[in-house]
This record gives sequence, structure tokens and C-alpha cells, in this order.
Amino acid sequence: MIFFLILAASLFVSLVVQQFIGPLPWLHGTRVLLMPIVLFYGALAVPFWAMLILAFIAGFMWDALTVQIAFTRDIATGHAVASNVEISLGWSILLYAALGSLMIGFRPLFQRGRWEVHCLLSGVLTSAIVLAEYLMITLRRGEFVFSTEVWWRIGGAGLVAIILSPFCFFILSSIAEAVGYDTQPRQEKEQE
Amino acid sequence: MRRYNIAGLVVFLLAVGGLFALSPRNTQKVQSAFLGMISPFLRTGSSLQQRVVAFHEGLKTLTQLEQDNKTLLIQNAQLRTGLGYLRDLEQENNRLRHALEYRERAAFNLVPARIIARDSSTWWNTVRIDRGVDDGVEIDMPVLTEDGLVGKTTAVAGSSATVVLISDENCKVAATVEGTQEQGIVTGERTSNSLQPQISLIFLSKNANLRPGQRVFSSGAGAVFPAGVSIGVIKEFKKRELDGYATIVPSVDLTTLEDVFVVFGKK
Repeated sequence: MIFFLILAASLFVSLVVQQFIGPLPWLHGTRVLLMPIVLFYGALAVPFWAMLILAFIAGFMWDALTVQIAFTRDIATGHAVASNVEISLGWSILLYAALGSLMIGFRPLFQRGRWEVHCLLSGVLTSAIVLAEYLMITLRRGEFVFSTEVWWRIGGAGLVAIILSPFCFFILSSIAEAVGYDTQPRQEKEQE
Repeated sequence: MRRYNIAGLVVFLLAVGGLFALSPRNTQKVQSAFLGMISPFLRTGSSLQQRVVAFHEGLKTLTQLEQDNKTLLIQNAQLRTGLGYLRDLEQENNRLRHALEYRERAAFNLVPARIIARDSSTWWNTVRIDRGVDDGVEIDMPVLTEDGLVGKTTAVAGSSATVVLISDENCKVAATVEGTQEQGIVTGERTSNSLQPQISLIFLSKNANLRPGQRVFSSGAGAVFPAGVSIGVIKEFKKRELDGYATIVPSVDLTTLEDVFVVFGKK
């Protein structure tokens, strides 16, 4: 339970921290996304239901910060009134849950102490998040634009995640060990 | 799948369904509430970042400081001279307008704000400022600097607000081109980011024949942005099948933006 709360808090902290990391000029303005890495670690370390809660927290926070609302002017008062939401609040939750579920499929290898595949997968799934965001925007606004720049930013986010995930996984694993959380539950050990 | 996993999945889907069912107004409330919750952390982060930057800047040599001081003194004198001259012109302009029974051109009420964080997303161009409802900031208020237009407020919390930048595709500004009767809509490019802000002027007439270097100003149509605020300079004009299209270099350097003003209507 303590480790689950730590993971939830880590999602929040990573979201705040990534706000202060600027776009990378040497990677076509790629943004550094830390929160998905924490979420993917959570998917590997906690049970399915707990991963769903983490996906809910992460997706909710992300959408609350990024969802764009269109406004119209109230004729009587002259105040702006929210009239349309571009992409519904909550769609990132489903996306994160789906990708987290994919990550769960690789849990046995992680429990044997093998991280390589998961670090690579973190990168691929981070790119998938950025691609899904772009597709959502494109479907909503129309006009498909897939320039080299776009592909670089999608791929770049994944590349950065691949580089950062071993460090994040190490820190979170150390915390799990420090609080006495076993990432390999007894039942799963017996099954092995 | 264990029983509580299925139960968890059902609760999860219900909760997400509940969020999907939120009306735009409630979504805005949720957004503002979350912004209010996160803003103390963003403020702390911003002040920490400023301290680090200040520490680095504090490591300047005495010669560098002396040079900076000299440059600033010269700039100050130039600006003072310019300001005095402009004040005279403003008074004269208002006198003449009064004589012609025109309404006096009023300046805006501006509230200074500091940028506390930039959006970390790849496709949205927004920043967070340290002014909110407590300071009188409302949704859809224009944000600018002394150089030109920056964007408009979207989500507003107690002491912070989100500003969507003009480089975002969702921020549209009615605009006119200096020295012409051309009117169009300024919009950000989808692939624009805070490193390479790209904006364009669309829905121009095909025969506009705009030249690079012509200035673009807000026209005031739409009642969100005041008229006459500089947006940028034409970089290139292209004819399309149905309309004219121009790329613009923004007046404001959106990549290094630190301090802005929120416009509160006229004085």
C-alpha cells in the first residue's frame, strides 16, 4: 500500500518536474515525458487493479492540464462560456490503461530481474502515447500532416524514454526495496 | 482474471465513462480545480528554477556587470526620451480626436504576470502564469507583452491561469495587414512547438500580394483581442486554390517569454 501511494505521488512529481524541462533542441523540439515511465514501472510492479488506478490518476492529471476548451461569448453578460471540449477529459486514461495492460504482459521477465526489454518497451509505448495524441488532434481538426518533424517528435519522445527509463526503474526499485515492497508476489513465485 | 480485477475494471470503466459524460462547463471546472491544486508546486518549481538561473547569472565578472550597467543606462535614456515624445503625441492625438468628436483612444488596463511553467506536451502550446481569479483574471482574456500579442487565457484557478499561445492551432486571432484592406485569421501551426513557434495568416484574398516585412495587427473582430496589437511580420505569401496564405514571424519571442501582461479591458 505504501509503495502504491509512493508510485501515485511519483506520478504527480514527475508531471510537475517535466513542466520545467524544456524541449530538446537537438531532437527537433522533443519533449521529455517522465510520467509515462513511472506509470509503466507501476504496471510492472503492482497488480492489475492497482495499475488501473495509476492509469486513472496519470491520465486524469494529463488531460486536466492539456484538454482544450472552446469558448463562446454570452450575449447577455459578455462573459466567456465553455461551449466545446476538443478531446474529452478521460481519453488519456483509457490510453494509459491499455498501454499499461500491454506492459503487464512482460511482467514475468521483469520479475526475473531483466529490465532491458521493459526499458525499450517504455520508449516504444511513450512514442505510442505521443502518436495517439497526434492522431486524436488530427482526427478532430482534420488535415493529415505527417512531416519529418512530426515523426522526429514522436520517435524522439520514445528515444528519450529509453534513455531515462533505466534510471527511473532503478530509483523506483530501490524505493520499493527500501519500503519492503515485493514486486514478485508469493503466488507468482509459487507458480514459477 | 481474479474477481477483484474484474471489479476494478468495472469501477474503472464507470469512472472514465463519468468523465466522458462531463459537460464542457464541468470539464472547465475540473480543469480549473486541478490547476489550482498543481499551481503551488509549479510556483515552487519556478522560483527554484529562477534561483538557479540567478545563481548562474550572479557569477558574472565585474567587467561584464559594468558593461551591462552601461548598456542599460543608455537604453533607459533612449526609452525615457521616446516615452516623453510619445506622451506628447498621445495628448496631441487625443486633442485632435476630441476636436473631430472622435472617441479618445484609450489604453488598456494591464496586469503584469510571470510565467511559472510551460506545457510539457508535444502538440499543445500553453504556458501557466501566476495570476488567476484572485487577481481578476477571467477566461478568454488577451495576454500580451510590450512587443505584441502572446495569446489568451483558458483555464483559470485562484492564483494561476493557463494561457494558450498564438502558436497553438486552437488560438485564432482576427487580423489585418498594415497598409492594406486585407483581413484574415492568424493561427498556429499544428507542428509548432515552444522551440520553433510557427504562425500563419489564412483566409486572405488570393490577390492579396502581400510582401515580406509587412506588419500584421489584431483587427479587434471577435471581441476577444483588442485591435491594433502587433502579431508579427509577413515572412512569405502564397496563393492557394481558394485563398491566400502567409507565414508570419511572431512579434514576441515565444521561446524566451518570462513576463507578460493580462489585458483587463480599457482604462
